[in-house]
Amino acid sequence: MSEPSVQFLDVPTLLEKSQPRGSGVRFWQLAGMFLFIVLLSTYITSRGAAAARALSLASGMIMLLLVGAMGVISFTIFRRTQEEHLRLEAIEELIRLRRWTEAGILLQQMLSQPTRTSHARVGGLIFLASVLARYNRFDDAIAVQEYLLEHFQLDGGTAHGLRLARAMAMLREDHLFDADRAISDLRRDVARAGRVMNEAAAEETNEVQETEAPQTLSSGLALVEIYRDVKTGHPTEAIATFEKTLSSLREQLGHRVADAYMLIAKAHDLLHQTDQAQSYYESATRLAPAIELHRRYPETAGLAEKYQPAQAPGEAA
Amino acid sequence: MISAQLAISKARRDLTLGAIVRWAMIAAAVAALMMQPLIDGAGVIGVSILFGVGALWMVLSFRSMRGSRVAADSSTFIAAGQFELAERSIAEALDSFSIFRSVKLLSLHHLAALRHAQNRWQDSALLCQAVLMQKPRTTSGLDRSSRLLLADSLLELGDLRGVHENLVRLYNQRLTLREALNLLVVQQDYLARISAWEPMLWQVNTKVQMAELLPTLQSARTQALMALAAKNTGRLDWFDWLRKRVELLIDVQHLCADRPMLSELWKQ
Repeated sequence: MSEPSVQFLDVPTLLEKSQPRGSGVRFWQLAGMFLFIVLLSTYITSRGAAAARALSLASGMIMLLLVGAMGVISFTIFRRTQEEHLRLEAIEELIRLRRWTEAGILLQQMLSQPTRTSHARVGGLIFLASVLARYNRFDDAIAVQEYLLEHFQLDGGTAHGLRLARAMAMLREDHLFDADRAISDLRRDVARAGRVMNEAAAEETNEVQETEAPQTLSSGLALVEIYRDVKTGHPTEAIATFEKTLSSLREQLGHRVADAYMLIAKAHDLLHQTDQAQSYYESATRLAPAIELHRRYPETAGLAEKYQPAQAPGEAA
Repeated sequence: MISAQLAISKARRDLTLGAIVRWAMIAAAVAALMMQPLIDGAGVIGVSILFGVGALWMVLSFRSMRGSRVAADSSTFIAAGQFELAERSIAEALDSFSIFRSVKLLSLHHLAALRHAQNRWQDSALLCQAVLMQKPRTTSGLDRSSRLLLADSLLELGDLRGVHENLVRLYNQRLTLREALNLLVVQQDYLARISAWEPMLWQVNTKVQMAELLPTLQSARTQALMALAAKNTGRLDWFDWLRKRVELLIDVQHLCADRPMLSELWKQ
């Protein structure tokens, strides 16, 4: 009989198996046990001097064993939690270094068993969504992102990052209606956060703050909108968003601003503005390898045949 | 605003107090075990003392964990530029009692990081030195983070000898990726200040790839410093490549205001 094949990074299995186990013993159980011991020892002591002496000896031994056992248990729990934390850090490093296969293997190992803490599980699932997106398994990535957004109270920044990644995955999977709705929600959330920040700043400085566009506040949102416009054949709108948000795109995205340059090269290409397309294509490939950018945005793959990438020095090529 | 000196003396006092309480509880537990037959034949008093010590330890551990969580919140506030909130969190963590050394040292380290973010280099260096004097465990990573912060603060203060001493100690340790990236930033800045242009370009490919993982300002600054090294060593292909990358990443005037030596890259 053949064993059922286990899919690599199977989302439903990993979601189920990674649930942390509840603590076996509760505080009230320990307190009850203590009360029972006290009552029992009082009863035995009342039975005579010999019984009291035997009890004294036995209780001394038991106490020593208990103290020793508690020490060992605490140390084991601490070490396992630390190991899990270190494993999560290792996964993060592998993802940053774009070593996706190794990151995937570590995630498979980590999430195939109950995690020690809920925090580690959330971290692991966030990384799992990134790895799945890298392998073009966007529906699986969306499933993980939705699970996280539905089941956990995440901090604002993390939730925003997840919603952005989900919108990007929806665009890649051509779920354009869902993506559009997700982008509208993101815009509303960012605008609301911007208003709160402005009010707080106005209270401190007693000056009315100018309201910034949501895309300026969140460059991730600007990038998703640019991608949507390029994908749906609205290059003029994409270029307008890019020009309006370039300084914040550079500030917030770092080298990932190459993504925006590549999409704008595509937008200019759609408008048959070949000089601008060439210029932006060169900028994009100066910051990131063309092959990686074309993998992220398959719509731009055709540009490789039409335009010249930036020439890297011999050692970098 | 919490004064660095005051924070250091408060942390030292709390570390001593924490150690006394910790050892007193351990002594009480050992005494309860050893002296049990002398105090009470049935062992009820011994068990009660042990249970009391255990309960007290749990309560104090819980309070310490809460202090640690409050201090940890401050790093999120620092990253978001909300320095007022970070200051409040750190003050709360410093004021709370903890039986664990690591919680107090972590609070001091967070204060050092806050002062670093506020460009108060002197205070940041003082606080980092105070953390390192307490010899935090190497496994916690606190010593490496504090040393990196110290090296960067000393660099800003122009104490190049101090930077060198701290960098040398970091070279002997196994670093995480985040630490290695921060080390690269400080190292390239230090080498540029002592005009060690050739070493700046050793393993240039790896350094460029690492710089790509940094936040915008640090990434642009590191690559600009490498462009300067390439210019000074006659490697014009690298000079041109890195300089154009920097132009795509950041406003050059902003960068030159931060490090005036870089204006040489854009001289006609």
